[in-house]
Amino acid sequence: MKKALSVISAIALLASSVAATGCSKKDEATTKDGKTIINLWTFTDEVPGMVKKFMATHPDFAAKYEVKETIIPTTDGNYQPALNKALQAGGKDAPDFFCAEAAFVLKYTQGDMSSYAAPYKDLGIDVDKEIKDADIAQYSVDIGTNPNGDVVGLGYQATGGAFIYRRSVAKAAFGSDDPATVSAKIGGGSGSWDKFFEAAEELKKKGYGIVSGDGDIWHAVENSSEKGWIVDDKLYIDPKREEFLDLSKKLKDNNYHNDTEDWQDAWFADMKGEGDKEVLGFFGPAWLINYTIAKNCGSWVDTGEKDENGDAIQELDTSIGTWGDWAVCEPPIGFFWGGTWLIANKDSTKKDAVGQIIDWITLDCTKDGLQYMWANGTLNGEGGTKDSVASGTVMAMSDGSLDFLGGQNMFDVFVPANQYANGKNLTQHDEKINQKWRGQVRQYTAGNKSREDAIKDFKQEVADELDIH
Amino acid sequence: MKTKLKGISYSKYGYLFSIPFVVAFLIFTLYPTIYTATLGFTDCRGVLNDNYHFLEHPFENFKEILKNDSFRVSLKNTIGIWIANFIPQISIALLLTAWFTSHSNEIRGKGFFKVVFYMPNIITAATVAILFHSLFNYPVGPVNDILVSTGLRDSSYYFFTSKTASRLIVAFIQFWTWYGNTMIVLISGVLGISPDIYEAAEIDGANGVQTFFRITIPNLKTVLLYTLITSLVGGLNMFDIPFLFLSGGPDRATLTTSVFIYNLAFSGNYIYNRAAAASMLMWLLIAFFSAILFYIMRDKDQIKIDKEIKKAKKEAKRAAKGGVNQWQW
Repeated sequence: MKKALSVISAIALLASSVAATGCSKKDEATTKDGKTIINLWTFTDEVPGMVKKFMATHPDFAAKYEVKETIIPTTDGNYQPALNKALQAGGKDAPDFFCAEAAFVLKYTQGDMSSYAAPYKDLGIDVDKEIKDADIAQYSVDIGTNPNGDVVGLGYQATGGAFIYRRSVAKAAFGSDDPATVSAKIGGGSGSWDKFFEAAEELKKKGYGIVSGDGDIWHAVENSSEKGWIVDDKLYIDPKREEFLDLSKKLKDNNYHNDTEDWQDAWFADMKGEGDKEVLGFFGPAWLINYTIAKNCGSWVDTGEKDENGDAIQELDTSIGTWGDWAVCEPPIGFFWGGTWLIANKDSTKKDAVGQIIDWITLDCTKDGLQYMWANGTLNGEGGTKDSVASGTVMAMSDGSLDFLGGQNMFDVFVPANQYANGKNLTQHDEKINQKWRGQVRQYTAGNKSREDAIKDFKQEVADELDIH
Repeated sequence: MKTKLKGISYSKYGYLFSIPFVVAFLIFTLYPTIYTATLGFTDCRGVLNDNYHFLEHPFENFKEILKNDSFRVSLKNTIGIWIANFIPQISIALLLTAWFTSHSNEIRGKGFFKVVFYMPNIITAATVAILFHSLFNYPVGPVNDILVSTGLRDSSYYFFTSKTASRLIVAFIQFWTWYGNTMIVLISGVLGISPDIYEAAEIDGANGVQTFFRITIPNLKTVLLYTLITSLVGGLNMFDIPFLFLSGGPDRATLTTSVFIYNLAFSGNYIYNRAAAASMLMWLLIAFFSAILFYIMRDKDQIKIDKEIKKAKKEAKRAAKGGVNQWQW
């Protein structure tokens, strides 16, 4: 009896340890009520929000499928390693489709991981015709096309950039807050930074900064360069990117900015106008206005109540903060920044279902499609945030006037800006290399090392960690 | 009688019950270790590579790693940061141990203080990293606010561009999270020392300092060795705080070998083979340092006694064998 008991318990222990190793493998995952689960991996709650809307507008689809999202922020560089492992591991928990950001999308469409990307045509999408009908921005298609010439990823945004400035600061410094005047002052469309620094000097005399930190001009510099970091498998420092050392140093030495780092508290404080000195503006695409500046403009007041997710409900109070005090104008140098691409896993067993969601988000150019709602801010009802989208067809039928911009129609500036965007100066290692480059530039501008040493150490770091010489 | 004896043998159940552990150990510890060790001799790189071969020159990856500037920098950082954290850590822990275990003056609220000192160890590394990042933020952050408002500095200090400041902050975080843990281990070590010895010392008129250095420390040797070695192994494998706090920056100042290995293998070009080689080098290094520590901290008296016992036994044996010889003279 004793013996039998001990054998049984030993077997139970063994079984549990084996079960923990995950030896069981099932391809089709279902919920308790029999719906098929579609796994979505992403880094913000943006795409999950779209999927929710898709489910709400497509009840037949929602009756059959349920989308389970996994959200891992990219901030600490954790998204990619986790996503790679999930793709490699396969099985029922593998992503059926996932999002990739501009900084690393090439890895999944053209680089090391591109063999996991399913061509859109295999998802039941008539991709060539639909791209033409929707008039999708060319750079978005270029970035999403794999080496075989198949489209494997598309975005929903167009992320051409503009200069986003404070009307009150412009009025005080230049005497006018008109976009044309400000654009002329900072050398909009001139392709050079000369006028920009003249304007910075003018602003400095009146006690203002021109930008918040050097990161603000970095994105303009980065995406306006001719070539990317890697040319013919070798590290290449584009002259425009190398010039960033001097631009950054000039900003810091002359105290033209508040010396903040992007995405840090001090950067957000400048959006409220609460930094060391008030700054004129920021470089960025439409999403920066709606998701970053508008949320951090300091005009939101807690009502004390909470929504169903436990987040505080906020109310707009335009008497405080910088709401309505903004406008956009043409930047000195054309650029684009960011964007999210949707890619399906070639191993997914639910390609058709995934295809329907992706088609609705990236290619549907009707008023019921995502892009129309996205551009006009009607995704979650009237009055939501507006954004510039990839489909030219949709942009033509949309209105980009924003109260936040004092009634200005931002599409007047962003539609031309989108033509500057090009998908040819990206590489799959941009996120990593940018981080190292910005770090060395910071060392140089802080006066900790010489220009030559900064470049030398940058090359050394890239060679050591990425084996790119 | 015989059969009954056979029934009482429980040893096979011991084997049976240890199977789950052995299986888990083989799958999750031994196999990955051997796999990593072999990867170091191959050309395995790239995220999707499962078609790799052993190299013609087996030690190529090891040579490359030893030549790698970032590896050398990271090794120096790791050792530097560990020493900068360990010296204050063990000193403070010993001091607190002496206070908490003092027989002459009892401290009130010992349990409370122990919990408070141990607390930093419970907070997850990610939280600690974010906490310190916002504390030392630039140009606006609590520490900078204090520095400027008290007039210690005219303008904010950019901590995260200064290599020394960043290293010191990382060392401080390590110290702050681990001194409580070390203290608890040391206290338990002291409580294991027989009270008789302390009583004897008290009767002989030893003061607190004498008791601490003459009784506590010598009797704590094994516990100290344990602390030293676990801290060394943990320190040389330091990953979470340097990675989460400034991800190795600024200018590689807080890049530790583990962060470097992680970057090499998982967050860039997937150079698995060199990362494996670097890991094995670290393994050798840690083993080497541990061996040195064991040698230095060996119980010299015990070894002497052992030797004497051996000698005596030998002599006794010889004496027993050639008992007659003894009487020859």
